[in-house]
Amino acid sequence: MLQILVVCGAGLGSSFACQMSVESVLQDIGVKASVDHSDISSAAGTRADIIISGKNFESQFQRYDLPMDLIFLDRLVDKKEIEEKLVPVLKAKGAL
Amino acid sequence: MAVIDFIINSILTQASITIALIAFAGLLLQRKPFGEVMSGSFKTMLGFLVLSAGSSIIVGSLLYFGDIFSEGFGMEGIVPSIEAINGQAMNDLGLANQIALTFLAIFIFNILLARLTRWKYIFLTGQALLWMATMTTVFGSAAGLSGIGLILAGGLVGGIFAVAMPAIAQPIVKKITGTDDIALGHFCTIGYMFAAGIAKMTGKNSDSTENIKFPKGLGFLSDTYLSVAIVMVPLYVVTSIFAGAEFGTELSGDVNYIVYAFLQAVQFVVGVYVLLSGVRLLLAEIVPAFRGIALKVVPDAKPALDCPVLFPYAPNAVTAGFITTTIGTVIAMFVLPWFGLAMILPGMLTNFFAGGTAGIFMNAVGGKRGVLIGGIAHGFFITLLPALLVPHFNSLGFVNTTATDVDTVTAGLLFEWLIHPIMNLFA
Repeated sequence: MLQILVVCGAGLGSSFACQMSVESVLQDIGVKASVDHSDISSAAGTRADIIISGKNFESQFQRYDLPMDLIFLDRLVDKKEIEEKLVPVLKAKGAL
Repeated sequence: MAVIDFIINSILTQASITIALIAFAGLLLQRKPFGEVMSGSFKTMLGFLVLSAGSSIIVGSLLYFGDIFSEGFGMEGIVPSIEAINGQAMNDLGLANQIALTFLAIFIFNILLARLTRWKYIFLTGQALLWMATMTTVFGSAAGLSGIGLILAGGLVGGIFAVAMPAIAQPIVKKITGTDDIALGHFCTIGYMFAAGIAKMTGKNSDSTENIKFPKGLGFLSDTYLSVAIVMVPLYVVTSIFAGAEFGTELSGDVNYIVYAFLQAVQFVVGVYVLLSGVRLLLAEIVPAFRGIALKVVPDAKPALDCPVLFPYAPNAVTAGFITTTIGTVIAMFVLPWFGLAMILPGMLTNFFAGGTAGIFMNAVGGKRGVLIGGIAHGFFITLLPALLVPHFNSLGFVNTTATDVDTVTAGLLFEWLIHPIMNLFA
């Protein structure tokens, strides 16, 4: 099962809202994955295949050398933007 | 009868079980498979108990800090933390059940109001609703309400805030995001509107913050727990030095008293971290269920989302608003005691999230100058309101802490100043 982690500062509100949008995009394109959300402090220690976060966290993630795919969004709950950025990654992973 | 007694007195008094049952009912309503219903209900219960554990850690750290602060400076230093208020209300005041049910009532009132009024907003920031339910329950019960009346009053007040706050912020949110699809669901909105008002008056024709070149090194500020630690550690360490070795050693035992202060400061952050992890588990099932039901009842509703959803639109404004708000809270810390109010220490969680969001609001209407002047005023404002509550919190038995998010503080004051006197008339 593909693991997707959505990340924000405290791992409570905006990452959760984004997670719900990601789940609904996945449902639309017919991909099964387990989606969860967390705070940025814990994100580096998780084992997700894809991490999705806001553009404003990009510099934070650059400090870690993370093996998973990273996606940064301008608009956290915009399904169109999520689909545009997620589909190529899913194709590369052979999940789509 | 014995069985029913047992259920009412031994099971339903346990808030963790009540909350698990709420999640259980929600999952059944969504016709989820049996496995998911069970695991979801269990996770919700686990979340509640993790939240309680985090609360105990915070209280332990705050008790120590209160002791060294009054020894070192001869006065009370109040740590603003809505998380601590929530934890103590649930654990030590025995209000957990009422808070859980009020939380549910706010959901229901939110859906009803969105359905019946022009304010079509569904408030999806679960933890903010939990803080709101905490405040209405604490101040509602202090005003003399109890049982179903307490839950309905809290649900109605919270429900009104849940639709009204996104509604008053929406004109500026539209300006920030360029769309009308999403709204802001965060209970610091009165502070945002206040800050935006000041910024609009002071920041005519000022350039946007997004043209400032900030040093890359400030990126760590977006790491929530790190930025809390950066303030708490010096606060504890300096205070312990003022309290002195003799007093400090009484509390720290075999550990060096300054090292002990450092570790206690980190313990505070640990407590916040654990508590919010609990909140995350607690909301994981409840929020999507609420969203599903709400969108069925109010198909044209807009989601009101947590404030960091706005952060990518103006990242510089977030940093700038955080810094200027913090300056304002530091000024207020020293100024408020002159007026006989408590000394409120800067609350970094709120400064970051509320200050950052206020920064975006202020930049949208008043550019750089607006963020500078409005931010300092905002910091002052969000320290003043919680300061008004300190005597009430102290009399209710809270340890060395006060609430933060100004909308929830306003709801608390509404109960204290309006509903309490009315209740007294009939008592």
